[in-house]
Amino acid sequence: MPQHITLVVRRAIPDGPGTRRLVLQDPDGWPLPRWKPGAHLDIHVPGIGHRAYSMCGDTARADTWEIAVKRETTSRGGSAWVHDVLNEGDVVAASMPRCTFPIADGAARHVMVAGGIGVTPFLAMAHEFERRRAEWALHVLSRGEPPCATALAGCAQTGRIRVYDTTKMARPSWDALLDGGPAPGLHSYCCGPQAMLDGFEEATGNWPAGTTSIEHFVPPTLPAAEGAKAYTLCRSTTRGEMEVEPGGSMLAALWELGAKVDASCEGGICGACEVRWLEGEPIHRDRVLTPERRRTHLLACVAQCSSERLVVET
Amino acid sequence: MPEATIEANRPGTTLLRAPTWNGAVTHLHITARAFLPMRPQESVELVAGRGIMGDRYMIGVEQGYYSEKPEEGRQVTLFESEVLEAISRDYKVEFLPEEHRRNITTRGVPLNWLVGRRFRIGPCLVEATRLSVPCRHIEQILDKQVFDAMVHRSGLNCRILVGGTVRVGDEIRPE
Repeated sequence: MPQHITLVVRRAIPDGPGTRRLVLQDPDGWPLPRWKPGAHLDIHVPGIGHRAYSMCGDTARADTWEIAVKRETTSRGGSAWVHDVLNEGDVVAASMPRCTFPIADGAARHVMVAGGIGVTPFLAMAHEFERRRAEWALHVLSRGEPPCATALAGCAQTGRIRVYDTTKMARPSWDALLDGGPAPGLHSYCCGPQAMLDGFEEATGNWPAGTTSIEHFVPPTLPAAEGAKAYTLCRSTTRGEMEVEPGGSMLAALWELGAKVDASCEGGICGACEVRWLEGEPIHRDRVLTPERRRTHLLACVAQCSSERLVVET
Repeated sequence: MPEATIEANRPGTTLLRAPTWNGAVTHLHITARAFLPMRPQESVELVAGRGIMGDRYMIGVEQGYYSEKPEEGRQVTLFESEVLEAISRDYKVEFLPEEHRRNITTRGVPLNWLVGRRFRIGPCLVEATRLSVPCRHIEQILDKQVFDAMVHRSGLNCRILVGGTVRVGDEIRPE
C-alpha cells in the first residue's frame, strides 16, 4: 500500500565535506505536500528501515523537497546508503514531513545556533524568516568548511549568517552567540551534536519557559517513567488486547496486535509513531508533543502507562 | 428541502412521490498518488468500470492510500460543498474544495440519500455504492483538525456505469 510518498532523486549535489544534498521531486512533477520549516522527513533505507533527515529547502517551492546528509563515521547504514548507493534518478519512499522543531511564531527575534550538519533545519527557517521580514541570525559552528556551504552561500546576501571555523578560531561564547539573551521577544534555537545541545541547555537554563528550542540528532536518555505499571493495551478498532509489562514497548505491542504504526527514531524525538489515545493514563516521555497535544496523543515508542488499561485509536 | 419530505414528516401523511433534487458540479480534483495535494481540473474523464483518468484510484494503476484494499465502488468520489460551508461555519476551520480529497464537489445534491441509487453527472451515469468515511490520514495531510467534523457527512463513493467527460458546472440529476 502506498502509505508513503514516492520521490525521485532529481539531483544529488556534493555540498561541503562529506555532505550530499538531495533534491527530491514527485516522479511526474506533481506538487508535494506542504511542510513547515523545522520539519524532517523519514526516508526508507532498503533493508535497514527509516532514517530521519531535516528538510533544508524552501517551503515556497511546492514541487521540490531537499535534505542534506552527512556521511557519519558511525553510520547505522542510512548515511552510507545515501552516499554510496543512491543515485540521481533513483526512486525513494518517504514519510509525510513532520515538524517537531517549529518556528516560534510569537517571537520578535530569532537566534539560531547550528553545529555542523545541524544547520539543515535552519536553512529552511532562513527562507521563511526572510519572507516574514523577521529579525534573525544564524551562527554555524563547524570544524573546517561547513556542510551545505552552497546553500548557505545562497542566503549570504541577507548578512545574517555567521560561520565559525573552530579549527581556525576560538569557539565563540554562548553569551555572544545568544545575543546576550534572554530578552523580551527573543527566541533561540539549537541543532547540533549532543555536547553542543548540552552547552545550549546550560547557557539558556535561566531563560523563560518556551523561549528556547532544541532539535536532537539522536534520541536523548529517556526520563524515568515514575508510576509506570503493567497494563492492558487495547486497540479501539479491533478490540485486540495485550498485556504490557512496566518498561515494555507499547510500539512493539501495537505491532504484535497487528497495528500499522510507523516508527523511526524509537526514542521519542521524531513523532513517527504518534497515535491518539482514548482511555487510560499514559506517561509521556517524548521530547516533541506539546502539553495540549499530549491530552489526546502519545508517542508509542517511549510512552508508558500508570493505569490498568490504555485504549489507543489504531 | 423537497416538499414531499415535509409531507412525510407530518403524522398520518403518506409519501406520495419520491423526493426530487437537482444539483451541479462545482469543483473537480484529482491527484496522481497518495499524500499529494489534489489538483483542480476544469474537466475530468470518467472511464466506465475503472475510475478517473489520472487519479490515484483508477483501477489497474492504483496508487492511492487505500489501494491495498481494492474497491470496485470507489471509482469516483463526491463531496457536498454545503458540508464544507457547514464545517467552516461550525468548527471555525477553513475547509476548501481541494482539501476534502474527493473528486467531485457538488451543490444541491443530497449525497447521503443516494446509496444504492443511480444518478447522472453531466453525460455520465454512476451508481452510489456506499458513504465515504473520514480517516485521520486527512488531518496528517492538511494539518487541520477536520476528522470529527466530517463524521457522517464525508461524501459518497460511486461506480461508473457510463463514462464520459465531466465539466465544472455540469448538472447532477437523478436517473
